[in-house]
Amino acid sequence: MGDLNMNGAQAMIKCLEAEGIDIIFGYPGVAIAPFYDAMYDSSIKHVLTRQEQAAGHAASGYARISRKPAVCCTSSGPGATNIITSLATAYADSIPVIVITGQVNSELLGRDVFQEADMRGATQSFVKYSYLVKNVDDIPRIFKEAFFIANTGRKGPVLIDIPVDVQMKELSKEFKYPDSVDIRGYKPNTKGNPQQMAKVIAAINNAERPLICAGGGVILGNGENTVREFCEKYQIPLVHTMMGIGVMAKAHPMYYGMLGNNGKPYANNAVANCDLLIIVGARVADRAIPRPKNLEKKLTVIHIDIDTAEIGKVLGPTIPLVGDVNNIFRTLIDSDIHVDTAQWIRELESFKKSTVDHRVWSDELVNPMTLVQTLSNKMDDDAIYVADVGQNQLWSADNYVMKHGRYMTTGGMGCMGYSIPAAMGAKFCEPDKQVVAVCGDGSFQMSMYELGTLAVNNIPLKILVMKNRFLGLVREYQHYNYQDRYSGVRLHDYPYYDKIAEAYDMKYFEASDNESMPGIIDEFLACEGSAIMVCNIDSQDITK
Amino acid sequence: MRGIFSVLVENKDGVLSQISGLFARRGFNIDSLAVGETERRDISSMTIVSTGDTRTIDQIEKQLNKKVDVIKVRRLDEAKCIEMEMMLIKVSYNATNRSSLIEICSVMGAKIMHVSNKHLLIEIHDSPEVVENFINLVRPFGIVEVQRTGTVAMSKN
Repeated sequence: MGDLNMNGAQAMIKCLEAEGIDIIFGYPGVAIAPFYDAMYDSSIKHVLTRQEQAAGHAASGYARISRKPAVCCTSSGPGATNIITSLATAYADSIPVIVITGQVNSELLGRDVFQEADMRGATQSFVKYSYLVKNVDDIPRIFKEAFFIANTGRKGPVLIDIPVDVQMKELSKEFKYPDSVDIRGYKPNTKGNPQQMAKVIAAINNAERPLICAGGGVILGNGENTVREFCEKYQIPLVHTMMGIGVMAKAHPMYYGMLGNNGKPYANNAVANCDLLIIVGARVADRAIPRPKNLEKKLTVIHIDIDTAEIGKVLGPTIPLVGDVNNIFRTLIDSDIHVDTAQWIRELESFKKSTVDHRVWSDELVNPMTLVQTLSNKMDDDAIYVADVGQNQLWSADNYVMKHGRYMTTGGMGCMGYSIPAAMGAKFCEPDKQVVAVCGDGSFQMSMYELGTLAVNNIPLKILVMKNRFLGLVREYQHYNYQDRYSGVRLHDYPYYDKIAEAYDMKYFEASDNESMPGIIDEFLACEGSAIMVCNIDSQDITK
Repeated sequence: MRGIFSVLVENKDGVLSQISGLFARRGFNIDSLAVGETERRDISSMTIVSTGDTRTIDQIEKQLNKKVDVIKVRRLDEAKCIEMEMMLIKVSYNATNRSSLIEICSVMGAKIMHVSNKHLLIEIHDSPEVVENFINLVRPFGIVEVQRTGTVAMSKN
């Protein structure tokens, strides 16, 4: 420390070390070469992905499991633009990711030189904040601010675009990582307003049929335990959004499933019949609550969120409350609340028991519902299940048996190809935990190239492919809306997954019927190293 | 309804584009936008006028507040603020109508900044309604060019 000869790139590494970062997912290039050179001397591990988008998803997966910001980096131009999709994905799901992109020489900015892309402009609507570093001495402040912004308030990705000459330039003053930040326009509110809190308490006291709707924000705010404790203390039932899977175990007596288009009828029944809906950390998005106007009219809605702008964006709540989920629910637990929900829970329970699933499943091949139930039941209690996007995601969300593990998926952006790199990031974070990526044959092929990263790094990831030879969810959409005119959705038989597995030194399993499937899952989960398990599913099987 | 926002922002590159981008992305209208430095070089002030239903105007306020580079957002009440706008306007004239054009300027408190043999270059600063009215009054003469600053507004309190 204290050496004046430190250059920008070395300062960047120092900042990351000061933030406790020990891994970076990335892809090098000339515009980020000084940073890579500085990384060579550091203890930070670099994971070379096979494409930049995967570096973004891997960092996102790592951040979700570690519950703190994770870092990815790329070079300028196409390397940088490749990562935008994963930034948009992390932004939609509020995941704290720091993205460092190399940029062309600052004197050449704006001249459309080789591999120049205006990254601040291009990512404006996909990041929480962005920096273009022009002065090398700003690096410590910018990194400190970037981590603070990414990981406070409503979390999200922050971009640091840094021209190659700034990385090479020497600092003019001694390196010092700031202890604190002072951004005058950014002071996230975490404590609930006392007047609003009083209204919330009164509303719960007045309720006969209260219901909590928990979203991904509960997990992002590390509030699962507090929300569960609240539900237990006052006997208030809970439903959740897709991003809220993991707030409560399926076996919990207050658990009433996922709501929405792809959710459980008994969860939607609970929403339709409650007299007080407490929405926490959820966006009230179209897939979860398709007709918010109907709700507004007939019941009291408390909307709790860290992001003021989410409240009232879609649904006009009766009582808005801005703050941190832990602070608010801790206060509610310690408050004087008396609510008798015994009758309400009896009604919910009787509806739940009478719910019949009218879906018809093919007798051929593997039933995807049974598959997800069997897999998640057999997985370790604290395992991490990463669902991709498509039918596999909806079957997973609908049937996943939540115990004490984590369930990850991209609910906001719905980005195909998410599961393999995100699961890889999760596995790097928790090498001793069981991690399973579940994808379809479409989404598998979108991130198939990352098998190389897994192989090189000896990452024992388990990948389960629900193979039905189609882009199943689009096919299902065409079935319902385009009279079975299946346009552009056939994947046919390729690739030969056994050969792919062999090419990357992975074990290979395949199930084609419900009888043998559980036994094969046992072998798949128990085997050493990484493995692919293909489950053949009838393309006629649909999600609703 | 009409929303008038007085917004203090960091005076640095990219901020204007962030703010205008926010309006564009979410489909909010910008009726007018005026930006300038405040008494502090590092802080700029924006007056943004928009129209929309109550929820839209509320959302604009919240989304503006969410921006890291936005220091303060104030929503101004039309009845309790002063709104001003400046306009430069070039209007054609001929020998027969020149004096009536000058008379309109005089009545409206507009100032003739330059006279050429075909046009008058007129400056007017007043409330947006008066500026609008002035445009309508001189329209029959033939408007050649208009430059408006957009509304700036300040609360009376």
